[in-house]
Order: sequence, then structure tokens, then C-alpha cells
Amino acid sequence: MAISSKPGSDLKKSPVVAGLLSLILPGAGHYYAGKRGQGVLLAIIAVIMVGLTFWARGLREVNLRPDTELILIVTTVGFWLWAIAAAALHAAQRPFFLPMLGLVLILGYFYVLGWQVTEVDLRRFFGEFSDTFDIFSKVIWPWDAAVEYDIANVSATTQFANPCPTNTAEIPAQAGAANGKAWVTLDPACGEFSIYDSSKGAVQVGTMLTLKAGGLKPNTHVDVLWTDALGQQYRPRYNGASVEGTADAQGNLTIQFGAPQIETGTQVGTALHTIEVRQELGRSNPHMSEDMELALNRIIITIFQALMATSFGIVLAVPISFIAARNLMAGSPLTLAIYYAVRFVLNVIRSIEPIIWGVIAVVWVGLGPFAGVIALTLHTIASLAKLYSEAIESIESGPIEAITSTGASPVQVVMHAIVPQVIPPYVSFTIYRWDINVRLATIIGLVGGGGIGQILYQYIGQSRWQSAGLCVWLVAATVSVMDYASAEIRKRFV
Amino acid sequence: MLEVRNLTTVYQDGTKALDNVSFQVPDGAFLAVIGLSGSGKSTLLRCINRLIEPTSGEIMWNGTNVAALKGSELRMARREIGMIFQQFNLVKRSSVMTNVLSGRLGYINPLFSLINYFPADDRRRALAALERVGLTDKINNRADALSGGQQQRVGIARVLMQGVKLLLADEPVSSLDPVLAHSILNQLETLNREDKITVVCSLHYLDLVQRYSSQVLGLRDGKVVFEGDNKAIRQMTPERFKEIYGEEAELVGAGKLSGAEH
Repeated sequence: MAISSKPGSDLKKSPVVAGLLSLILPGAGHYYAGKRGQGVLLAIIAVIMVGLTFWARGLREVNLRPDTELILIVTTVGFWLWAIAAAALHAAQRPFFLPMLGLVLILGYFYVLGWQVTEVDLRRFFGEFSDTFDIFSKVIWPWDAAVEYDIANVSATTQFANPCPTNTAEIPAQAGAANGKAWVTLDPACGEFSIYDSSKGAVQVGTMLTLKAGGLKPNTHVDVLWTDALGQQYRPRYNGASVEGTADAQGNLTIQFGAPQIETGTQVGTALHTIEVRQELGRSNPHMSEDMELALNRIIITIFQALMATSFGIVLAVPISFIAARNLMAGSPLTLAIYYAVRFVLNVIRSIEPIIWGVIAVVWVGLGPFAGVIALTLHTIASLAKLYSEAIESIESGPIEAITSTGASPVQVVMHAIVPQVIPPYVSFTIYRWDINVRLATIIGLVGGGGIGQILYQYIGQSRWQSAGLCVWLVAATVSVMDYASAEIRKRFV
Repeated sequence: MLEVRNLTTVYQDGTKALDNVSFQVPDGAFLAVIGLSGSGKSTLLRCINRLIEPTSGEIMWNGTNVAALKGSELRMARREIGMIFQQFNLVKRSSVMTNVLSGRLGYINPLFSLINYFPADDRRRALAALERVGLTDKINNRADALSGGQQQRVGIARVLMQGVKLLLADEPVSSLDPVLAHSILNQLETLNREDKITVVCSLHYLDLVQRYSSQVLGLRDGKVVFEGDNKAIRQMTPERFKEIYGEEAELVGAGKLSGAEH
């Protein structure tokens, strides 16, 4: 690289010194060459680049890929060399050939490192998107879960003992045909379960059972349900198929199958199992499901939470807004100090997210809607007081002058010159805030603040996506309606 | 009869806005106050109704020293002294009717103001005032929906509600174009002639001063630099006018004068 100073220039600096300085710290050469601001910036960037490289190498969560590490080192070294060349050329007062190269190297470094530490993975992003289809479809179309039906059943039960008790009197009696009612019997009524024999790789079938049932609805499908001693319900399987059948024209059914494969574990003595035959004759009387009813109840509670928080917020924010208004508090150093203190506290409260206030409030008053109300109220006070005080700060003094000049008393001046100016923005801000609070109330439940968020969080935890979908829909509907309503009201009022 | 004696006003920051100002305004006069921005015109007008507290001096209004009044006595005096403003100073979000009614506040019990009540008699009076300024079709409009000229007429209607004997007009036409300026000043002239209301009006344009005023008071740096009657105004040349305004206003003054003729 040919470095020489321009002849006749009085301000020339030595390019060699500039280059050497930049070798020690990029930017130092720029500083020396008179580009002070750029020099400081380059030095800061160089320090950050080196520091981040060491930080990334020490990260335990992220394994830096070797090629990433190489790119980081290459871009850092490249940046270093670029800074040296640039500094030398600046010192020599010659035009620099590649001003953008430095920027490209810096950005390259940060994007490569950022890609790694945030674990961006396009293969997973596109390849595993289909995993969400099931959840998505349930959340987006959850209405099956909104409706429940009364299901008319024909059903009969009997019992089965395992293993066979020594005292034959303990073998469950099989009731047999009953007058017009459904019935079911098992023969034998006790026996051994099937066992999977891993050495043969096959199932060793247990006692062969004959299930007879009658009094069923003719020509209709019959399910068989097996409930073990612990209350677990199974659909027994035999020869790779569910044990089920269809009642004949007389409403009778006979099925033969091997006793199912049921883990008896550490069972002592004889256990009684219940066998049920069941026909579903149809669904009738559609009505709101329990989940839907709960979600509706909770969304109403949520709207009330927003209402309570907004009204508590107004009551406290109005007086605070006066001491947070600069034009009212600029009178003396004392009032100005109060103004700054109040403003500071409001800013701190406002900068803490409502969800964090929610966590604190849950510790404070326990789980439930009240915790959510506290969290929202705190945030509402802080933001409304700020907005209100700004409304006070922006009132015009002209009307005050004019009303005073009519001979009005101070009370009249407040009522006719100040209040009319302040009320519309107050109303507008308040409605806007109520709108925000409805939105916040829906998520404050995530941390235990009651309302719909709480059950939404539970449903997500239980992977009950349809029920979660119901909550999501109700939240979306409520927020949209509030959004529209508040915009309309504000438009008319202001 | 308004008589100002040795009026001096010094602001908190030490600015001497008015320096020993004395003048008389006979009943029924139309006094134009002229001078550069910052010469003390607005301060003088606001001292007369005590929107600004004078530092020393007397403001004799029909035998009472307004400068010494306090509390309800001051408010009683203010009822007789109406004021209209360059920026109209209406409550923008309130209706025209409400703005006009507020001129009556000095006469009604402050407790009524808490419930925004005005007696029916006052409403009739407000309608009459609006009729007089030609705004009966705008009664329920919001004040800020009106044009500048209309807003100033609402300001005049508000003053009419007070039953004023003295009208202070602080650059009432400076925010308006020349045609509207004449319309507003015509109304002030009507009030001056028909209702015998004394008018003290600060004005910028010499032609308006010559056309409407019966007396002129020139202020410069808070001091009276010119006093003259109708005859003196007629004879006042643009050059003399410029003396009051100062050399730096020369070109602007000439431009404004010619602009206002059309």
C-alpha cells in the first residue's frame, strides 16, 4: 500500500504513525488524523467486537460452531486492517478507496454472531412448521368445544374377577336377561389377563371370555368398555382389533375375546373389574359446554377488572395530575421539587410492565382477580396521571384571561375556562386507558391475576387447545369491540 | 371618563413595560393606542382591567380608582369594562352560546356555575347579542368551528352580555384579513356611537386608526410619545406614524399601510 503525504499540505500527519496507532487500537489513527468523532466510534466498536468474541467463546448455552468462530476472527482482523489503512490514508489526506468495507465487516460480524446466539434455525422454522397445524386448527376453530350434547345411551355392566378367587362365592354373579332392560354377562366371570411374552415376541392370550348381552337396540353398534380396579377405563383389544360388535335383530350380542392385557403390578388378592356394553343412540339437546360457560364468565370478570382498575386509577390520577403539571408547579422551588419527585415516581411505576406488577400483587393479596385489579390500577394511575397532567399543561391561558375580564369569580374561572378545556382530553384518555386495561386484563391472568388469562394459561398447560381457542376468541372479540367503541366515543367527544 | 395617572408597570424580570403613562379618555371616545410590538400596548390595556397588576399609578374610572380595588369590588368594576382579544380567547370546545353566556358570569351566583346554570333571562340576552353580531345561525356550533371573523364577533357578543361602558380591544383585527378587519371595527364603531361605549383599542394600521378613532395615544418603550385628537390623526402623515413606530418598522409599516387600502 503506497502511503505518502500530499505535498504542500500544512496539516499533514504522518501516515505511518496513524497506521501504527490504529494497529494498537482501531480509531486511534483516525483520532490522530483529525477525525475525532469517527476515531472514538471505531475504538468503541473494536472493543465491543473483541469483547463479544471472548464472551461468545465462553458461553455455555451456545456452542459456537468452528466456522462461526473463524468468521468472527476474520471479520475482526479485517476490520482492524481496514481501520489501519483508513487511518493512514486519512493522515496522508488521500481519498480512501473503500469506505463501505469497514461497515460491511462490522455488520457481518454482528449478524454472524447474532445468528448463532439467538439460535436462528431456518431448517426448523420451515421444516417443523407442520407440527403446529394441529394446535393451530384447534385454536382457530374451537367451536366443537363450545357445545355439548346430551347423549342417550343404552348401557349395562357386569363384573369380572382377576385372578380367580379361591372361594367360588367371591366370583361375581352374572345377572343375565332382565325384563326389557339391557343386560350383559361374562363367561367365565374370572380368569387371567393376556401377557406379552417378550421372549417369543407374541401375546400369550389369557382366559377366553364369552360376552353375551341382550335388551339392546337392534342392529346398532355396541362398544365394550373395561374399567379396572383403579378406575382406569380401556377399550379392550383382541387379535389387533377393538372388541366391539353390532346387536342383532333381537337386540342380542355375543362376542368372544381373550381377557385383555392389563398390568396387575403389585396387586394382592383378587380385584374386581367392571365391563360395560354401551350403545350411543344419538346426541340431543345441544347446550353450552362447561368450558364455554367458564370462558364467558371469566371474560365478564375480566371486563369488570378493567372497569375497576380504570375507575380506581381515575380517582387517584386526577389529584396527582395537578401536582404533576409543570405549569401549575413551576411557581416555587419547593413545588418544582414535588413536581420532579412525582414525575419520577410515575415514570418508575409506568416503566414496570403490568405483568410484573401482577406477580407482585399475587404475592401481596393472593391469586385471583383482585391481584389483577391492583396490578392494572397501579399502571393506570401512573399513565393517566401523566396524560392528565399533560392535558393541564397544554391549556390555553387566553380563555382564563377572557373569563376573568368579565368579572367572574375564581370558581367561575375554573368552571368556565379551565374545566371545559381539560374535560375532553380527560375523557378521551380515560376511555383509551379502559381500552388498554381490557387488553391487559386478559393477559394479567397468566401470572395468576384472575380473569380469562388464568384459565387460558391452564388450558395451554393442559394442551386443551380447543378450550384455549375459545378463550382466545373471546379475548379477540372483546378487545375488538372495545377498540372500536373507544375510538368512536373519543371521536365524538373530542 | 377614564383617566390614567402616572401608570408604571415593572415585570418580575425587571422589564419596565409602562413608564409613567398618563392620559384621559372622555366618555364616548374611540381611543386608538398605537406602537410597536413590545411598546406596552397590551400591558396598558390589561392594567386597566387589572389582568396585569400595575406597579404604581392610578386608573380612575368614573371616579373610582380601579388600581386600588380588591375582590368583589374589582369584579364589579370588571363587569363594566369588557375586553376583546387578538386571539379571540374563546373556550374553543364550548358552543357559541356557552361562550356568549360566560360574559354574564359577573352577575350570577358562583354556585350556579358549578352546575353550569344560567337564568332564562340571560339566555334571551345572549340570543339578542348574537343577533346583533349576526351569528344566530351558529348558536350551537363549537367555537373552534367558526372562522376568525366569526370568533371575534362571538367575543363582541360576550362583551355585550356584560353591559359594558368601556371596551378594551387588544389588537382585535391583527389576526384577520383587511376586509374582516373593517367589519369588526365597524361593529366597534356602532357600539361606540349607538351604545355610547367608550373604546380603547390598540391598532396597527394607520388607515384604520384614521378611519375609526377619535383620539390616538402613541407608545414607545412604555412611554407616551404621541397624544392627539381626531384632527391630529387626520393630519398625521405616514412619516409621523413611522416616528412612533421607529425607524426599523419603516418598510413594514409602509407595506402594511398600502396593503390595508385594498
